[in-house]
Amino acid sequence: MRTVNRFGKKILSLLTAAVMTAGLLTGCGAEQDYGKDVITLRWVTFGTAVPDDLQKIVKKANEYSAEKIGVVVNLEFQPSEMLNLIMASGEYYDMIFTSTWANVFNNQVAKGMFYDISGIVRDETPELYDKIGEYWEAAEYEGGLYAVPTLKDMGSEMMFRLNSDYFEKEKGMTIPESMSFEDLEPYLEAYKKDFPHKYPIGMDKSGFPGYSNLQEPVIGNILGIPYELDTPKVVPFWENENVIGKFRLLHKWYELGYISPDVAAMEFSAIDHDSPVRFGVAWRGYLGYSNPADWGFNVKTSIYAGPYISKATEQGAMTAICAGCTEEKARAALRYLQLLGSDTKFRDILAYGIEGEHFNYLPNGTILRTQRGSDCYSTSLYQTGSVVTASVESVSEDFLNDPDQWDKVFEGYKEYGIRSKSKGFVYDQSRKEDIIATINAIYLNYSTDLVTGTSDPDVVIPKMKAEMEAAGLDELLEDIQSELDKYLAENPD
Amino acid sequence: MDKNDQPVKKRKYGSLSSSAKKERRQLDLMTLPTVIWYGLFCYLPLFGMVFAFKEFTPVPGKSLFTNLFVNSPWVGLKNFSYLFRNPLSRSVILNTLTYNIIFLAAGIAIPVALAIFLSEVHQKKFQGLVQMTLVLPYFISWVIVGYCVYGFLSTDTGLFNSVLKYFGADPVQWYQSPQYWRTIIILLNIWKTSGYTLIIYLCSITTIDRTLYESAALDGASFMQRVRYITIPHLRPTVATLFILGIGSLLSSDFGLFYQVPMDSGALQDVTQTLDVYVYKSLMINANFSYSSAAAFLQSAVGCVLLIISNLIIRRVDKNSALV
Repeated sequence: MRTVNRFGKKILSLLTAAVMTAGLLTGCGAEQDYGKDVITLRWVTFGTAVPDDLQKIVKKANEYSAEKIGVVVNLEFQPSEMLNLIMASGEYYDMIFTSTWANVFNNQVAKGMFYDISGIVRDETPELYDKIGEYWEAAEYEGGLYAVPTLKDMGSEMMFRLNSDYFEKEKGMTIPESMSFEDLEPYLEAYKKDFPHKYPIGMDKSGFPGYSNLQEPVIGNILGIPYELDTPKVVPFWENENVIGKFRLLHKWYELGYISPDVAAMEFSAIDHDSPVRFGVAWRGYLGYSNPADWGFNVKTSIYAGPYISKATEQGAMTAICAGCTEEKARAALRYLQLLGSDTKFRDILAYGIEGEHFNYLPNGTILRTQRGSDCYSTSLYQTGSVVTASVESVSEDFLNDPDQWDKVFEGYKEYGIRSKSKGFVYDQSRKEDIIATINAIYLNYSTDLVTGTSDPDVVIPKMKAEMEAAGLDELLEDIQSELDKYLAENPD
Repeated sequence: MDKNDQPVKKRKYGSLSSSAKKERRQLDLMTLPTVIWYGLFCYLPLFGMVFAFKEFTPVPGKSLFTNLFVNSPWVGLKNFSYLFRNPLSRSVILNTLTYNIIFLAAGIAIPVALAIFLSEVHQKKFQGLVQMTLVLPYFISWVIVGYCVYGFLSTDTGLFNSVLKYFGADPVQWYQSPQYWRTIIILLNIWKTSGYTLIIYLCSITTIDRTLYESAALDGASFMQRVRYITIPHLRPTVATLFILGIGSLLSSDFGLFYQVPMDSGALQDVTQTLDVYVYKSLMINANFSYSSAAAFLQSAVGCVLLIISNLIIRRVDKNSALV
């Protein structure tokens, strides 16, 4: 028996050592005492990588918010799958990222996962309530409010990104502020003539960004409500000329050799860096596509569609509070989000890092990231709170951005935004979940080839349609339409 | 325990027995990590099977166990329905089975043949070199293999098309041509896995008594006769074991091989879509744990049944070769 005991002890001490090392590695004890009445919130946001300087920057932000509102956060970046897992496994959190594309809001809210803030938001954080205004629509569900929408680009504008050095200076063509999709053709033709062995369109297997925004999504990119219709009707994308017309053109361009023949198998890294034509989704005045230092030439953007605004586009990024939270914590979370949405100096910390180390203010009021800022804290603004409150980022000291760009973007939405007429309709996908799963799988068999122009829509759509019909497409369409009609009747103007 | 308390009968074996026992206990202890590993990662997660028969409706702030066992209602076989709704599900299942049967057959024939030839090579250095070259692919991830294959098959810069162009032939758009892909997939699988199984067979061959070969050679047996009457009969238990293990995963497929290597090209889906790929595509957009558990349950259940049946058959034929 003594041998076993000795062995047992050895194993026990080994295990203890292992557990202790694991504890050290996970870095518990990073908590810092900010005072007795300060509330700590666990805030999980979307992110595929953890920025190197996160802890340092959060600490700086916590010092500020602890003093101002008595709330500090433990900020975590988690990828989409982890967000799903945290929600499903009942792990504790206070605030979490939710949207149409990661930790899907409409599904989670239907399961009752989020805190209804409609009763407390007006009296706890009136400033926040007023600032979000009409965009609260995004967080509505059966009369309650279940998240705080992040103010950012609330509609989607689809644009071409063209090499202006080549097209304007060399070829003498002009790049207008906006054009239609087919207007791109002469540019492609010109480049192909000069470089017959190259492909003018730089695109990978994910296709041209923006195809998913051309109609109001109901079931992914498959079924949607066309923005052009006065009476909302749900249709498959192949019945929406706005979508399928672009796929047809794209296929024509593919056949003409304007797109690489292997595009359907190509990753982003395989795109030719010289491609003079790319696609993008952003907003008027966005300069992220324009830095010549990034692209090797000057780029001008030209808008071909949008801005389309619907409940789905407004749900691009939101922060929800856990339904299991106490009211005290929920109020603290709202105060924190209000501070992020109103105090630019505080907002800039989580947005860009520490002033002087990660970024500097420029004389016109915009900011410029330092090398360390781009290396160790290159997050997107939507990940860490209100985008419009943060200072605007300039491309370089000579390439300045407009510090008031967001005012103009939001005015633009009012002026020429194309609004959905579905009044915030959301289809409860659990009604026909098995059909939806099946048609999703069928769609994915064809989508890459369609959105890259590889396949001819007139050949593959009939085949795909037949498969989807066999899987119950008509039953699904009927159900959605009757739900939509019911919803519209219940919510008259 | 006092030594005097021990029964007289046990003393008969003397001190040797007790030290041997001690040694055995120590050996038993050495299995502990494996037992713990299997317990934690193979048996404990089995409770997740319950997902397949429940509509998972978590309540925030409650633990996974409460949510699964208390808060979620039983729904019977409802979660399985999406697997059979697709008009393609027949071809998906057929694809999975066909590939696996071919893999199973090729995975026995080719490594066995290679092992026999390699065992005849008496130059140790050369043998080692060949062995290493054959095993190496086993350690390369499918993602990397996928990119290497792309290097060969890409339409304008790929190696194959460059050769075709050199000889004046028309280049082939490989990722749009499903007719080649069954062969490509089967070849790749053989290339990647046979080295590893080869080692197992080579080990069994080295355990065969050499004197058998010597006396057979003295009696004038040719190489083929020696293989047929000595090597193959001796390899039978190993073949049976690997066969039974392989049959258990007849409905499963290597996601990397069928999704990463063809670069998820839509034109190839008729020949590359297996059950795992289909499940991934169905659930990629809407994560539904119950649906994915249902698919996994189906795969394991079918695999388990097949495994038991094949084991029974093998036991009938050759008792020593069966697993249990």
